[in-house]
Amino acid sequence: MLINYIKIAWKVLLRHPFYTFITLFGISLTLTVLMVLTSFLDHLFSSHYPETNRDRSLYIMLMVQRDSARSGRSSGPMSFQFLNKYAKTLKTPERVSIFSAFNSSNAYVGSQRIKLNTKFTDADFWRVMDFDFLEGKPYSEQNITNGDYVAVITDDFRKQYFPDATESAVGKDVEIENIHYKVIGVVKGSPVTRPITYADVYFPYTAPKSNYQRSDMRGGFMSILLAKNKSDLKAINDEFQDRINQIPLPIVENDNKYTYLEVKSEPYAANFIGQILDGGPGLKAILFGALAFILFMLLGLPALNLVNVNVSRIMERASEIGIRKAFGAPIQTLVWQFIVENIFITLIGGAIALLLTSGIIYFINSSGWIAYADLTINLSVFLISIFVCLIFGFLSGVLPALRMSRLSIADALKS
Amino acid sequence: MISHLFRLIWNKKKAHTLLIVEIWASFMVLFGLATLIVVNVGNYREPLGFAYENVWAIDLNNNQDTTEVANKLGRIVQQLKTYPEVESVSRMSSNFPFSANQMNDGVEYNKRNVVSDRYVTDENFAQTLGISVTDGKWYRNADSVGKYRPMVINEKAKEELFGNENALGKIVSDKFRVVGVMDNFKAKGEFMTNKPAVFELMEAKNSWSNIVLIKVKPGTDAVFEANVVKNIATMVKGWSVEVNYLTDSRKNQHNLVLVPVIIAAIVSGFLLINVALGLFGVLNLSIAKRRGEIGLRRAIGATGSGISTQFIGEIWVLATFAMLIGLLFAVQFPLLNVFDLASGTYMTAIGIAVLIIYGIVTLCALFPSRQAALIQPATALHEE
Repeated sequence: MLINYIKIAWKVLLRHPFYTFITLFGISLTLTVLMVLTSFLDHLFSSHYPETNRDRSLYIMLMVQRDSARSGRSSGPMSFQFLNKYAKTLKTPERVSIFSAFNSSNAYVGSQRIKLNTKFTDADFWRVMDFDFLEGKPYSEQNITNGDYVAVITDDFRKQYFPDATESAVGKDVEIENIHYKVIGVVKGSPVTRPITYADVYFPYTAPKSNYQRSDMRGGFMSILLAKNKSDLKAINDEFQDRINQIPLPIVENDNKYTYLEVKSEPYAANFIGQILDGGPGLKAILFGALAFILFMLLGLPALNLVNVNVSRIMERASEIGIRKAFGAPIQTLVWQFIVENIFITLIGGAIALLLTSGIIYFINSSGWIAYADLTINLSVFLISIFVCLIFGFLSGVLPALRMSRLSIADALKS
Repeated sequence: MISHLFRLIWNKKKAHTLLIVEIWASFMVLFGLATLIVVNVGNYREPLGFAYENVWAIDLNNNQDTTEVANKLGRIVQQLKTYPEVESVSRMSSNFPFSANQMNDGVEYNKRNVVSDRYVTDENFAQTLGISVTDGKWYRNADSVGKYRPMVINEKAKEELFGNENALGKIVSDKFRVVGVMDNFKAKGEFMTNKPAVFELMEAKNSWSNIVLIKVKPGTDAVFEANVVKNIATMVKGWSVEVNYLTDSRKNQHNLVLVPVIIAAIVSGFLLINVALGLFGVLNLSIAKRRGEIGLRRAIGATGSGISTQFIGEIWVLATFAMLIGLLFAVQFPLLNVFDLASGTYMTAIGIAVLIIYGIVTLCALFPSRQAALIQPATALHEE
């Protein structure tokens, strides 16, 4: 039966190429937009190279200090000393890494200037993160205690700084801000959309200019707590918050008195969304309202369009319906047939969208808009798209099918 | 004629609901996009107020070195002035033009409080960025005598603080005396809204404003830059030095604005193409269905152009219905003052959206109605 319906659907599609084109255009366009969007969100928030452990990590990125009236507020990353004291010593996590946000700098080769992003990390950074080492190895605790001037660089920076690509860069010297560092390893870089790991050059935190000695609470450092497995995340958060709560308040620092201190350890996505939502409930309502509206338009408009086209087209097939009704086909069967037809065409549209999406993703990845971009259509993105496909098929199938099924036999046969 | 068309549409309102909803939704999308574009175009047309070509921002960070920082910064400025390649040098707070940093503060005059962007700069600032002071003059170090410190404000701040009064010599916030008024200062680039800005004179002991702007002669390249960085690094041990070209930073700021607008425009563009195609299909079918009616009208003497005008008129009435509903939503934005935009902006956006919708529906109806006009009464009535 199903095969029969699909055969009929196929014939109907071929009969009016123009209407088929309209329908397919609408479906594939919407799905493409949705899939590129999900793929981009997936790129931003899921576990990907080199942050493959994101799902079992907690991020400590922001400290918020408030005064007693809660009118003044100061927030930002923390100092190395603070994290070293309160995060590094936690018992429950498997590992804790402390690293700085990225800083900009320049390196000069001849009359060329290379824009650089630098990052100071501890040795655990390389164990928490899953970098591909193309050459050499990361710096170790030993390098850090010795205060060695060593650096890990990315392949992109190697290409710019060492014109001779055949030679190994390990052991060579790079000069950044008049300080000479020895290259100890070369990694495949991380895209700029992952600010935790993105940099061109990585230094041990003991390297000059990292300001790790600073004793205030705030500074330029952040931390990641890696759990042994996902179920430990809550225990880790509890232990960390317990420590934070034990810090005696109020704190007096640089002539400011803070009576309220907040340091959150959160999963990656929560961290980002939290920062956007920090503006209070009004902003939250506007944001969600805008998002809902955009999504509604993105999905609703093409669906409406399809319904419209289908409603007008279904009358063309009135004679076919009339005959089937005259021979005793019940309404459910007819409705079912039309829904199957719609799902069928939606799936074709989905397939086209899949092709379009992979084209766009390939284009984004290779265009260099985002260096090291690795957008993919992975299983979850694909499943979401298929699900959306089916909802679409339903939306645009049910209404015309109902309208058609109410047609009386006499009317239908008359035309 | 028009009332007749209204009656025709009203009689078939149920069949037309979906079309109306579709046009309404397209109108809303267009209204959103047009607002976004009108806002940005409006901002773009406001002059920037300063010249950024060949200006570099040198970002100095003293790191662990905390002794005599102000002194050392002063020495760096003196050193920079000696290079023949450098035309002008000026120190300023970290919110230099096109940077990601922002500083704002309330300024008060006569109980009128205006939140404005605040910049701390020195006497060479106007020269370095090619700023022309329209009223009064840019402050000099010598202006900082007595109780009050000199301040330069922009036109927007003057308007909001003093209205039509003369700003020169006025005391604001009990601390500053206005010595000059300049035009715009849109530090975040052309797409920034023109906001009130105030400039105050940097004190000699200021040690935390760590940006030095230098204007170099055209054609100065990275060799000179490397040389400068090296010299500064030898002068002050342990400091970090980073050079930003304002032209590069400007590009970053522009991308922050343009990329979302371009994505929104592409997506809306495809949505509208989609709607237009669908509308075209629906009209095509519905006109084909009315062949009998058309044939009859032709037979009793209606002209071809009369027929096509009727169909275009019908779709215009439909579109008007839809947009009246859309207007109910759209006028809420200027009425409730959402997003703090001028109501003129919304009105222009509504106007643009209305025009585009009429354009789209006319285009979609044009071909099917021409087809209808060509129908011969004999054939059409014969089919009946």
